[in-house]
Amino acid sequence: MEATNQKIELTVTVNGTRYEREIEPRMLLSDFLRHEIGLTGTHVGCEHGVCGACSVLMDDQPVRSCLMFAVQTQGHEITTVEGLGTMDALSPVQQAFHEAHGLQCGFCTPGILTTVTAFLETNPDPSEEEAREAISGNLCRCTGYQHIVDAVLLAAKKKQAAG
Amino acid sequence: MKLSGEYVFDGPREEVWKLVRDPEVLMKCMPGTQTVNKISDSEFTGEVTVRIGPFAGVFTGRVIISDEIPPQSCTLTVEGTGKIGFLKGVGAIEMTELEGQKTLMKYSGEAQIGGKVASVGQRLFDTVSKTMMKQGLDTLNGFLKSNAA
Amino acid sequence: MATLDHNDKKVIGKRVVRNEDPRLLTGQAQYVDDVDLPGMAHAAMFRSEYAHARILSLDVSKARAYPGVLAVFTADDMGADCYPGPPLVSPPPTVKDVVFNSRRQVPLVKEKVRHAGEVIAVVVAETRYIAEDAADLIDIEYEPLPVVADIEQALEADSPLVHDDLDSNLAAQLIQTKGDYEAARKSADVLIRRRFTIERGTAAAMENRGIVAQWDAKSESLTVWDTTQAPIPIRNGLAARLGLSESKVRVIAPFIGGGFGPKIMMFYSEEMLVPWLAIKLNRPVKWIEDRRENFYATTQERGQVHDVEMAFTRDGKILGIKDDFIHDTGAYDPYGLTTPLNTQSHVMGGYDIKNFTSEFKVAFTNKTIVTPMRGAGRPHGVYVIERMMDIAAKELGIDRVEIRRRNLIQPDAFPYEHGIIDQAFAPLIFDSGNYQAALDETLKAIGYEKFVKEEQPRYRAEGRRVGIGVLPFIETTGVGPYEGARVTVEANGKIAVATGVGTQGQGHFTSFAQIVAEQVGVDVTDVRITTGDSAHFNWGTGTFASRGAVVAGNAMHAAAVMVRKKIFKLASKVLNAPEEELELENGVVRVADIPQSSISLKDLAVLANPLRGAVEPGTEPGLEATAYYGPQYGPTAFGVHAMIAEIDPETMMIKILRYVVTEDCGTILNPLILEGQVHGGVALGLGNAYYEKLHFDENAQLLNASFMDYLLVGSTEMPRIDVRHLETRSPLNELGTKGAGEAGAIPVPALFAQTMEDALYDYNFEIRETPLNPNRLFEIVREEKTT
Repeated sequence: MEATNQKIELTVTVNGTRYEREIEPRMLLSDFLRHEIGLTGTHVGCEHGVCGACSVLMDDQPVRSCLMFAVQTQGHEITTVEGLGTMDALSPVQQAFHEAHGLQCGFCTPGILTTVTAFLETNPDPSEEEAREAISGNLCRCTGYQHIVDAVLLAAKKKQAAG
Repeated sequence: MKLSGEYVFDGPREEVWKLVRDPEVLMKCMPGTQTVNKISDSEFTGEVTVRIGPFAGVFTGRVIISDEIPPQSCTLTVEGTGKIGFLKGVGAIEMTELEGQKTLMKYSGEAQIGGKVASVGQRLFDTVSKTMMKQGLDTLNGFLKSNAA
Repeated sequence: MATLDHNDKKVIGKRVVRNEDPRLLTGQAQYVDDVDLPGMAHAAMFRSEYAHARILSLDVSKARAYPGVLAVFTADDMGADCYPGPPLVSPPPTVKDVVFNSRRQVPLVKEKVRHAGEVIAVVVAETRYIAEDAADLIDIEYEPLPVVADIEQALEADSPLVHDDLDSNLAAQLIQTKGDYEAARKSADVLIRRRFTIERGTAAAMENRGIVAQWDAKSESLTVWDTTQAPIPIRNGLAARLGLSESKVRVIAPFIGGGFGPKIMMFYSEEMLVPWLAIKLNRPVKWIEDRRENFYATTQERGQVHDVEMAFTRDGKILGIKDDFIHDTGAYDPYGLTTPLNTQSHVMGGYDIKNFTSEFKVAFTNKTIVTPMRGAGRPHGVYVIERMMDIAAKELGIDRVEIRRRNLIQPDAFPYEHGIIDQAFAPLIFDSGNYQAALDETLKAIGYEKFVKEEQPRYRAEGRRVGIGVLPFIETTGVGPYEGARVTVEANGKIAVATGVGTQGQGHFTSFAQIVAEQVGVDVTDVRITTGDSAHFNWGTGTFASRGAVVAGNAMHAAAVMVRKKIFKLASKVLNAPEEELELENGVVRVADIPQSSISLKDLAVLANPLRGAVEPGTEPGLEATAYYGPQYGPTAFGVHAMIAEIDPETMMIKILRYVVTEDCGTILNPLILEGQVHGGVALGLGNAYYEKLHFDENAQLLNASFMDYLLVGSTEMPRIDVRHLETRSPLNELGTKGAGEAGAIPVPALFAQTMEDALYDYNFEIRETPLNPNRLFEIVREEKTT
């Protein structure tokens, strides 16, 4: 593949902040988020769209940032794990993962948190089977998924309690 | 990795054989072929662009024809290397005359692949090679028919 | 030795949520790829496509000339700096007739590549994109050589040689014996012989490897961020390689996205290269492995072939076992004999076996290097013995639970000495255990009797194939040599703790904090742990062999006990009360019964480090202590797994209906974390049983180097696991802990095989290989049916 010096101007909103950058058209969204604007919470596990660690939300829908070029997000709104909550104020999903021990090494976690956040918007009261299905596109090598599933169900309860 | 199959050409065996041994024709038949150079009657070199799943690249290669019994059978030894991997294969071709000016070609061979083509493209390699084979033979058959016409 | 009173624990053993979570949950935890330094350059590796080939020519000129490229290095360019890495584990001591040929990987290959994926050149450029573009411009010509792909053929006389300077591909050979097997087999009623094949998988940590190195020329100091499980040995090794003082090299293993063993392979080629490049170019250099590289450049495990014979009495008592096996080490053997020794240590399982003989041969092949991966040779041993027990049960007509019960080591037989050596060359001694209790607990939890008597006949009447499996396993854990920890009460009243081990998700920031909080009387969240940074702790070996909670944990406990003593001594003086009358709780020391007479740890810490006045002779400043723990031999954990699963004989698709684990790893530090470890282990074990297999072709080309083709177990494949805890303390250490990190994975392939044979009861077949997959199981069932 030949490199080009051509650059494209990209305007995108990430976690509510507007970014304008000149980038190469071949730059992946994952690299843009991590290395251009320093949001390293999004992790890259396989670079071919299978593991789900790099999942972010584009206009509230989960997408694999390693399978998208950054320029495809022109004018869209992106939410990464950094946009879900803060260390002092975890989102209900983050809080549930904390309480249910839904993470170990934490590497796959950002992609799971974004996926689950979107999932609970469409299915606020999932069964265990639905919760398993919802995270079936995210690989985790540490947890065996049980505590993740517990966390998804707990998050649903927390969100419902909060109204 | 094994590769084998049959193909029925709509033309007599001598004609098929002539076309198969013509580098100009082969270049037009083999999908993605960019150049073919005749080194000798039984050796050709060339460049072929191959796309396998997520990878595309140019293979530079060599084809050696041996054990030739015109217009009946021969052995092909193919070697190719490129940025996306390498390929090495040996195959046997056998042609039988059929009734009604038709020719049956049987081919069977074994290929070794390595590099990206093997590690990521392996499960597609079979399909891609069969598709390329079919495309090539169809084109060759097209030449045969237009020559006859 | 003052052991911690079992019933008195306030913090240890509690389901405490993790201190590290908020950082990890919000994207604020730093992993190696998150390190971003001014002026940082990026490296890409140019790797061999052939598994075995001579390099005829190498031309990097086009890559060098490519815009944005800073440098390209080959072995020639590296000159005298291009020499093999050190042996990670020294050759074994003189066991009788031991053979060990140490061959280690180099930073860059010069003449002959020995596995696909070996590094031949490195490109450094302004961006990774440019570095990869340029690597594509390197021209190389190979002479392909005959390939050693099969471990049995590797040891045949006419095999091609992986290392031309050796007479054969024999990397090592070792025999261990106990009792007199030959005599045992002569007196046996029944002899059973089988061959078992175990093939390779990969650890597939979600984070690939990565290294960032920064050289400060003015202070002549090197800082390296490395996804290693062993930061201190990497620091020491790098200092030695680069001719620097150890004090001038800092190695940081920050948050690591899973380790599972392969991240402790020292030294990977890239680990030798990247720091060297940073010095050479005087610029920070980053290299991050991609997933395809991880598939053939990160170490793997599990390839072995076993020929086993077992001698039994008619009533199912084991008289002896003979197990000869070949172990695949790949192209090099930097990790010594750890894995095959582990296999030998586990091939007697938890059974009372008096006569044993086992010879292993380690073979070089043209495949990726083999080093321990979660389980590390143990699953092989357990697979062999447990498959043999199942086969024996059938041949002798004894219930498979009963035959195990008749042979398990009895609770009063501990410590149980085997008289052979373990992976650390220490004597193989099982310190403590209550194996029967774990078996009983599991049978009860899975409802064994009810299933066999009522449920299974009902299923079978309905034409459904639902099987049950139950089997025990042991895990040797917590080996030496040692770990250390430093505990400090800081002037803000918080507790700072440092240790040399790294952390890859095991919850060390919490379980270690619990150990310290127990002694120092503070909240777990007030204990701040630093792991894996050589600037914070100077001594240590690493996180491996299920040893963190045992070895580092006990060092931490010892240091915390010493700090507690210092706190009491100083408080006694300040509060003018005898130490026996003091209580320490919630960060405050009180005189019992006089609540107003108290002092906080914060104030005590300030008093312990005064700015004026005289310090009494012989006293150290501060409330701080450093301690080390080194076991003579490691404790042995134990457990029993059971599963009930249904299989469709047409598609061989499975559904696991129930899964029970009874885990006994001594004193539990945190059940929540322990359960997580067990769940994750079982998931890997299931992968090793039915999903994950590296497919190498006859030319040692890996054919499934992506997650599209190499299947990891996902959330919908995993059953819910019911984890039961037993706590048989280890008498070897004060905490009474044993390791648990690898346990979950160990018995699963054997359990899976047993369950499938039970489910497909109306087919006549025997499973003697792992990993399986639906296709392969279908073939086995067919093959045996027709023969």
